[in-house]
This record gives sequence, C-alpha cells and structure tokens, in this order.
Amino acid sequence: MAAHSHKRYLPWWLLLGAALLFAGKAQAYERIASLNLCLDQVLLHWAKPADIVSLTWLSGAEQYRSLPIPQHVQLNRARAEELLPLQPDLVLAGQYGAQRAAQRLQTLGVHVVTIPDAYSLEQLQRQLDALEQVLGPLAPLQRQKRALSGLLEQSTGGGRPSAVILSANNITYGSGMLEHQLLQRAGFENLVSGQGLGRISLEEVIALRPDLLVFYGSEQHFALAYLAARHPVLQRYIDSGRTYTLPSQLSLCPVLAVVDTLQQLMDKRETLVKAQ
Amino acid sequence: MLKHNKSAVFLLIAALPVALIGALGSGPVSVDLVSALAEGWGGQSSDAVILWQLRLPRALLALLVGAALGMGGAAMQGMLRNPLAEPALLGVSSGAALVAVLFLYYGTAWKSGWLLQALAIGGAFSAAAAVWLLAGRGASAGRLVLAGVAINAFLSALIALALNYAPSMFAMQEVVFWLMGSLANRGWDQLLLALPFLGLGAVCLFFTRNYLRALALGEDSAASLGFQSRMYPFIILLGIASAVGGAVAVAGTIGFVGLVVPHLVRPLVRQDPAKLLWVSALAGALLLLLADILVINVVGAQELRIGAVTAFIGAPFFFWLIVNARRGQWL
Repeated sequence: MAAHSHKRYLPWWLLLGAALLFAGKAQAYERIASLNLCLDQVLLHWAKPADIVSLTWLSGAEQYRSLPIPQHVQLNRARAEELLPLQPDLVLAGQYGAQRAAQRLQTLGVHVVTIPDAYSLEQLQRQLDALEQVLGPLAPLQRQKRALSGLLEQSTGGGRPSAVILSANNITYGSGMLEHQLLQRAGFENLVSGQGLGRISLEEVIALRPDLLVFYGSEQHFALAYLAARHPVLQRYIDSGRTYTLPSQLSLCPVLAVVDTLQQLMDKRETLVKAQ
Repeated sequence: MLKHNKSAVFLLIAALPVALIGALGSGPVSVDLVSALAEGWGGQSSDAVILWQLRLPRALLALLVGAALGMGGAAMQGMLRNPLAEPALLGVSSGAALVAVLFLYYGTAWKSGWLLQALAIGGAFSAAAAVWLLAGRGASAGRLVLAGVAINAFLSALIALALNYAPSMFAMQEVVFWLMGSLANRGWDQLLLALPFLGLGAVCLFFTRNYLRALALGEDSAASLGFQSRMYPFIILLGIASAVGGAVAVAGTIGFVGLVVPHLVRPLVRQDPAKLLWVSALAGALLLLLADILVINVVGAQELRIGAVTAFIGAPFFFWLIVNARRGQWL
C-alpha cells in the first residue's frame, strides 16, 4: 500500500525535484556576462542588476542604450581576457559574432551558453524558452512569454486592411520575416508578397495604396537612408494618421519589443477598420 | 561645318524634351502619362502623384544638376585653360562633401533635412574661398590649379579620416552613398533649394563670358584687351562654387560630367569658351538625364548610384583623351 502510494506521488516528486533543480540552477548564476547586444538588453531588463558583471560596450553607446547600466557592470569589447578576471559563472553569447571569444572562454573552462538568434515568431518563442532554461523562471521573462502566447492566440476579427513597410534605404519586409509575420498576426495584409528582405521604391508605395504605411526605427537624426520616408509625397499618410513606426528595438532585440509592437499594431488595425 | 555644328546644337536642344518624356515614362511602376498629365498638379490618382511628385522633380533635378556640372566644367576649363580641369579641382565638391560627411556623423541634434544641403553649399563656398586665398592676389591659372589641388587633397584627407573613424557601418554607408551621388527620392524641396544657387552661378558666368573669350588668347592678351581686373576670376569662381555647390548639395558628388561634357561639345561651338558654357550646360543636362534613365531602367532603381554610372562613362572617355593626346590631335 505504501509502495503504491509512493508510486502515485512519483510524478509530483519528480516535478518538484525538477523545479528545485531548475530554480537551483538559475540561482547558481550570480556573475553573468554577455557578448551580445540583444542579450545585454535582455539582462538589463529582466535579470537582477547585482547578477550582471559585464555587458558589451555597445550597450553603453548612446544609440543603443535603453536602460542605465549599473555602476559595477564592466563594459567589454568581446575579448576573452576582459571577461576572465571578472570570473563569470555564465557567459551568454549570440549565435553570430564574438564566436572566437566565446570559444576561447569555453576552452578556459568558463560556462558559455549560446542563445539562438530569432528572426521569426517561432524562433522568438524558442529563444524565450532557451533564455528561461538558462536564466530560470524570471518573472518578467515569463510575463513576456505569457503575453506573447496570449496575443498569438487572439483572433483579429473581420476586416483586413493592407500595409506596406518602408524602412531605411527603401527596404521592405516580405514573407518569412518577423515584421511580415507581425503585420499578418495583427490582421493586416502585407502588400509586399516577396520572400524576405526586398526593396520598394516610392513609386511602388504610391501605386500599391496601402491602408497603413509602416516605417521602421525611430528617426532621431537626419540620414540619407530615410530620404524616402521623409519625401513630401508621403505627407498625406502622415496627415491622415495612417502610419505606424516599428520601434528600432524590434530589429536590435525583438524578444523585448515583440509584445508591445504586436499589441500596438492590433490597436492600429482596429482604429483603421473603425474609420473605414 | 558651321551649319553642321548648329544642327548638332539644335539636335541637343530637341533631344532634351524627348529625354524628359523618356524619364517621365521610366520607373518601376507603369504610369498612364497622358491621363496623369491631364489630371494636373493636384491629381489624386496614383499615376498623377507618381508623375507630378516623384518623376517630374527628379527629372528636372537631373537636368539642373547636369547643367550646373557641365557649365561649371566649361568655366573651369576656360578659366584655367586646362583640358583636365573640372569643378572638383577647386575643392567645391570636396568642400560640400566634407560638410555633408560631418553633418551625417555629428548632426545628431539636427532633424531637418534641408540643413544638410544648406551647409553643403556653405562648404562649397568655403572651399572655393580657401583656394582663392591660398592662390593669393594676382594668381596665375597655374597657381590656382595648384591651390585647388592642395585644398582638394586636404579636404579628401579629412573625408578619409572621417570615414576611418565612422562610428557605425550605417554612417559609413551614408557617406559612401553621398560621395557616389544620387537623384533617388529627391523631390521639389531639393529642386527649389538648389535652383537659386544654380541661377546665381549662371548669372555670374554670363557676366564673365567675354573675359573667358579673351582669356583663350592668353592672360597677357586678356589683360591687353581690358580684362586685367582680378574681379573676373573671382566672379567665375563664385559662379562655379554657387552652381556646382548647389548641385552637389542636393545630389551628392557626381563626377566626370564636368570633365567630359565640355570636351564633347567644344567642336560644336568652334572652341568659343563663352558659347561653350551654355552648350555644355545643355549637354550636361542631357547626359545626366540619360544616365538617370539608365539607372532607373537598366540597372534597377536604388542600387547603383548615378555617380557610378557617370564614372563609367567618364573613365573610358579619359582613355580616349589620352590616346588622342598621344596622337597629338587635340590635347
């Protein structure tokens, strides 16, 4: 009887054990370093500041700084010799970039974890899982996961306004890209049907007559790359409020921006549908 | 021969509206030109907006910039009596480019686009002034060329330095694209900004046309004909800085037009430096418009910059010049 009772509770014991192991594993990392700008931002937003020992120098650069960097955090230029003296118990690296430093650290016995990059919603969900696995069940991370799942399950209802993305240097986003997926999930029809990144001229934008014109990135400074977006011919879109600007954070670190962006696009769609 | 030359000039004039129609009909989108024209300036259809707000200002800007470069080149070659002279030799293009480069790097607080162009024009004037001051009073054509080469080299070094310390690859790309010149995504605002400067340049060069004629006989002969005042070279320099500076400010540095065009049309005006100004303007406008049509139709809109196309036309022309010089025909 006692043996049967033990068997009955076995799954619960296993689950508790796994949870403790998971929690214990997450708590074990108290000196985390990053070799990747997006992972810098993830740590700054979601991890305890005291647990971060080093971030890349890019996080300190004005154009990428999203949160103040704690004073004790050292900025690195992705060199193994910068990180070794800090004795990190976890180094987060991206899929690309700083590979040499990551390999060197690994051979020197430092625990390095590579987090896969994400260029689509599916990859983003996998990235969130990977982050959770390594950093543990951090409350903001789980909130983000729940919010994303919730939005993806949400139905957008009737009416499917059209949209076109006009990014710097006349770049646009077609199928297979995260930006395209976000438009579709928000209930828009992306009029650029091509695969991946493409180019779109102002003439094509005018001829396609999208209901919503989507710019990309906060245009803080003047740049030749934004000449198309600044062209007076697009003024009618701006005047009638039929524009939306994807945050630059979406290209730098989509995992942080995806939920807000999708929500804002859904809201924009509702406004457009009501106006029609 | 004279009749033949006049016909060629008329042919140039007649080719302009044809090229303009070609430019208005060129683009990634098929446009019904007749109905778009009939709708007029305020037309709301896609065709009308594309024609009046995108293609027409771009084509007119190509004409204006080409005219400025052609005219500037003719004036430079006339003033310096050097067949290899072009506006860039006086540092006008580099001056405008350097200011643009600095703006693109450090102009973080300036949001307005027109400021870049206005400052670039200022850069062109400053470079021309530096050449003038460095050459000193009563400078000969040779000394002006030397001063121009020196200032140009210094400005190019500063641009290279700025490129070397480009804060990001985006900034570097911006600068490189600027240096290659482009008419893409330009509109009426750029056209209206450049127009007064091009007009001022044309007026300055018009007033010095007879000086250029006299100078063709040599500096001493020009002085004996009453053109000894230092005012004339100064006005020419001002005219070139104004016209070419205005052109570079809105379209970036487009090379070779100022060098090639005067050579192409010189036989048509029987070597007359005054007439050469206007015919070069005409031919420069036509050449740049044709190059832009080529960029739009053959190369595929955004990727190839018009400066690259004119360089492709200009470099072989250089070879031709050298071969001709070897044969001792006209260099």
